[in-house]
Amino acid sequence: MKSKTLRGYRLALLTCCMAAFPAAVFAAPARHDGVTLTIACENDQFARVLADMAPEFTKATGAKVDVDIMSYPELATKTIADFVGHTKGYDIVTMDIVWSGQFEQAGYTVDLTDWIKRDTAELDLDDIYPSLMHALGGYDGKQVAYPFAGYANVLAYRKDLYEKAGLKPADTMEEHIANIAKLTDKANKIYGFVANGQKGPAAAQDWMQYNMQLGGSILGNDGKPTLNSDANVASLATYKELFDKYAPPGAADYDWGGREESFRQGLVANMQTWSVGAADYDNPKISKVVGEVGIKLPPTAKGVPPQYGIGGWGLAINADISDAEKAAAWDFIKWIDSRPAHKEMNMRGAGSYIRKSELTDPDLLKRYPFLPVVAEAFEKGNGDFRPRIPQYPEIQDALGTAVNAALVGNGDPKSVLDAAQAKVVKLFK
Amino acid sequence: MARAIVRGGGVPSGSAGKQGMRRAEARSILYRRVAVIVILAVFLLPLLWLLSTAYKPTRDIFATPPTLLFSPTWSNFTSVFRYFDLPELLWSSIVISLGSTVLSLLLGVPAGYALARAKFRGAVGVAYFFLAIRTVPPVATLIPFYILMRDIGLLGTWWAVILINTSLNCAFVVWMMYAYFRSSPISIEEAALTDGCNDWRTFLTVALPAVVPGIIASAIFCVMFSWNDFLFAMFLTRAETKPISVALLSAYGTKDISWGTLGALAHFSTLPIILMMLFLNRYFVQGLTKGVN
Amino acid sequence: MTDLALPISRSPRNAMPYRTRRRLFLLLMVAPAIVYVVLIALWPLAQGIVYSFFDYSLLRPASTSYVGLDNYRALFSDTTVRTALVNTFLFTFGAVALEFLFGLGLALLLWRDDRFNRICLSLLLIPVTVTPLVVGLIFKAMLSPDYGAIGYFAAEWGLSGEHGFLGETSSALMTIIMIDVWEWTPLMALILLAGLKSLPTDILEAAQVDGARPLQRFRIVVLPLLLPSTFLALVLRMMDAFRVFDIIFVSTGGGPGDATDTLMIYSVKQGLQFFNVGFASAIASVMTILIGIMAVIFILVVKPAEARNG
Repeated sequence: MKSKTLRGYRLALLTCCMAAFPAAVFAAPARHDGVTLTIACENDQFARVLADMAPEFTKATGAKVDVDIMSYPELATKTIADFVGHTKGYDIVTMDIVWSGQFEQAGYTVDLTDWIKRDTAELDLDDIYPSLMHALGGYDGKQVAYPFAGYANVLAYRKDLYEKAGLKPADTMEEHIANIAKLTDKANKIYGFVANGQKGPAAAQDWMQYNMQLGGSILGNDGKPTLNSDANVASLATYKELFDKYAPPGAADYDWGGREESFRQGLVANMQTWSVGAADYDNPKISKVVGEVGIKLPPTAKGVPPQYGIGGWGLAINADISDAEKAAAWDFIKWIDSRPAHKEMNMRGAGSYIRKSELTDPDLLKRYPFLPVVAEAFEKGNGDFRPRIPQYPEIQDALGTAVNAALVGNGDPKSVLDAAQAKVVKLFK
Repeated sequence: MARAIVRGGGVPSGSAGKQGMRRAEARSILYRRVAVIVILAVFLLPLLWLLSTAYKPTRDIFATPPTLLFSPTWSNFTSVFRYFDLPELLWSSIVISLGSTVLSLLLGVPAGYALARAKFRGAVGVAYFFLAIRTVPPVATLIPFYILMRDIGLLGTWWAVILINTSLNCAFVVWMMYAYFRSSPISIEEAALTDGCNDWRTFLTVALPAVVPGIIASAIFCVMFSWNDFLFAMFLTRAETKPISVALLSAYGTKDISWGTLGALAHFSTLPIILMMLFLNRYFVQGLTKGVN
Repeated sequence: MTDLALPISRSPRNAMPYRTRRRLFLLLMVAPAIVYVVLIALWPLAQGIVYSFFDYSLLRPASTSYVGLDNYRALFSDTTVRTALVNTFLFTFGAVALEFLFGLGLALLLWRDDRFNRICLSLLLIPVTVTPLVVGLIFKAMLSPDYGAIGYFAAEWGLSGEHGFLGETSSALMTIIMIDVWEWTPLMALILLAGLKSLPTDILEAAQVDGARPLQRFRIVVLPLLLPSTFLALVLRMMDAFRVFDIIFVSTGGGPGDATDTLMIYSVKQGLQFFNVGFASAIASVMTILIGIMAVIFILVVKPAEARNG
């Protein structure tokens, strides 16, 4: 009798929660009492939202959720250390899509393929972009992570500056570079261009994006690295020229944060960036360019078929944890990726889209009018311009050093890329 | 009196009684003080700047050109409290630093005593050996240590960090206490021993009380080293055992630098140590004096 | 030291002579620390050295194999290592030398023992207590040529290169050195001040009576007396500088180019980022050997000097 009252009480509580907060809707919420899920979470816009929303999952299922927010280098080191040490410190990790190959090869995480098949109806898969399902965790026939936060590479530009100069944002790189030149006004501290120059992942990742737009490629058709191909050398030379002539002086030392800040503070006229940051440009608390920013798809070089960069994060389940924990983790992923919860997440500014319904949602569109651009990028996007292969970390490091060296004049584009190629080619024997 | 003059900076003595000399000396002291204040500003302003970011909205932190004016806000603190489990972080830091300090003292103080009192030639060599331990680059030991901790099931616990910090701190304590005991008079100990006190009681009741300042100084250093360590802690802890030094890096987001959050978090990571240092300054200074001479 | 070996053997059942007992006691006192350090520090170190002869990656543990000196060979043909080695030495000696000079200047300024100086000294020690990670971040922000409180004006007035102090290959390492100097000069000053205060007053007075000019007096009398007492501080500081990591990690990550790459940064990257345990251990072993050599040279050079001045 006692247990009956308790159950009734719980049910009432649950109904209460559900009424108060639609994100907690479950078909039939399984209980995971006593389970604690620790999430290793990248410190991106979604991190704080995730931390805020996690208690809802606890209310519905009884599983406690700890969101451990970490910086990128910390996340990379700690999750891998946790996996190779089989220490079960984290149940769920946010996985940068470029780690897919590495995770797949080592078998760190649960292959979700079968579970996805089993729960297809519940997952509402038709609503998730296939490009994201693939890029954010699909690798070599396995699903090492489940899509969670899709980012599209977009061009953010200053409408006011374009208008003043009588220009229109361009669709080809050639015209875009001409625009960049015209918009640069160093005397007034306005720069036409900005990108990451800081040694390491920052420099490597931004250059890979531009490299794709300029017709270069990291891997050849045989899957072997071609870092020093003529096209890549030419694109790095162009990239360097953009830095030297049109970027803020500090850009050679910018990472994502520095780059975003320069745009929000009104220093630059054009910035290619992940769509996740776009919401912040209109936030008067942190931005000086409120209302002046346009978002469009990035330009590509003439003759290069338009390809839009896709990036972001998947949620992966640690393969070492117990079955009960895995089940709870999977339920968490299903919940946070469900239509209502994921929409709620984005309403709170996570900037992390995976569903078609989100990008056409009137509430979200009202707040973030640039969403159709993201939708188009997801439709036609390419998540492999940064090769998601097991050797990616070393390739990224070699490129991160090479690109930064070229930018600061520590070697010409050809010689630095030759050196990088020599380093990574050893990994493909 | 001569002593005072020497310390005053070496104004030629011998004519100390004369008015002019005294005025010259006063002026020289004034110049020195002005110089010291300028230097003090150089050393303290950067830190004040960081702490001040905690009260600034992001727009003001990145104002171009930089300005001193800002509209104060608490939002950085509220977000720190919302997204970081501050009590837990601080508790981890406290457990790790105190744990390592206590362990280092337990191991290091007796060892320092033994080395100072041994009439064995190699004692200095052993003391140097302890010092040498501190110089080993962490990477050399960290990965094997990581595997060791995993195998004995301590990985991710406070113990892992405490143990590795202690191996470095204890080396330091041994050295410092070695210096302390050597400079503390041995005659009272001898008297106690002849009075029938056994070795252990002599150590506890006679030798130890004489070096309390040294123990405090060693403790300060241990706390400081462990509190500020970030490489070991980052690698060896997990979410629930993470200390605040590691959280500082976490606050440094990828897409958004969050200087404000960092500044707010820095209040909690730096102020406790700074306060400890200011309060126990006397011992800190004394410890160094002994430790090096 | 007086002889402690008093022939007292109080209890009749204690057959052990006092001298042996005392030795045993002292041995027991020092043993835990030695055992501890051997277990926790030396054992992993030895293992690390063993790993350095293996192609051992934590990411691919199955393909571990003995490779002899291959890691060392790779290390010496690696251009990054060469630059890192040079940078490490430049940083270590540059930073310690400057810290010594500035610290000495500061110590002389604060020599006079009064309330003002004592308060200033304790305030000056604040940088020493700040987490090095935070120090790196503070200066990264302040030196940014785009919005930094220092960097903006330095770039504007042409004091720094266009890309800022940390952004130019030519100035980055020097800037990192100066950041380290900011953090550690006060400690050096404190140690030197302690040394100054312990100088025998009579010698100083004698020098004054001799009519030696201040600079002369400083060079001939103060410095030789001061050096031995600061010997240890210099060694310690040098060892720590050799392993500098946090500041560089957060401010430049070894860039721009490889201008601030150090052995420590490179070994952490290889070991804790790529988990190339074999190669990282090889770098760490080389570092350990280098530190050892440095320490021995230092002891050989400074100790005799100390004895001479004794």
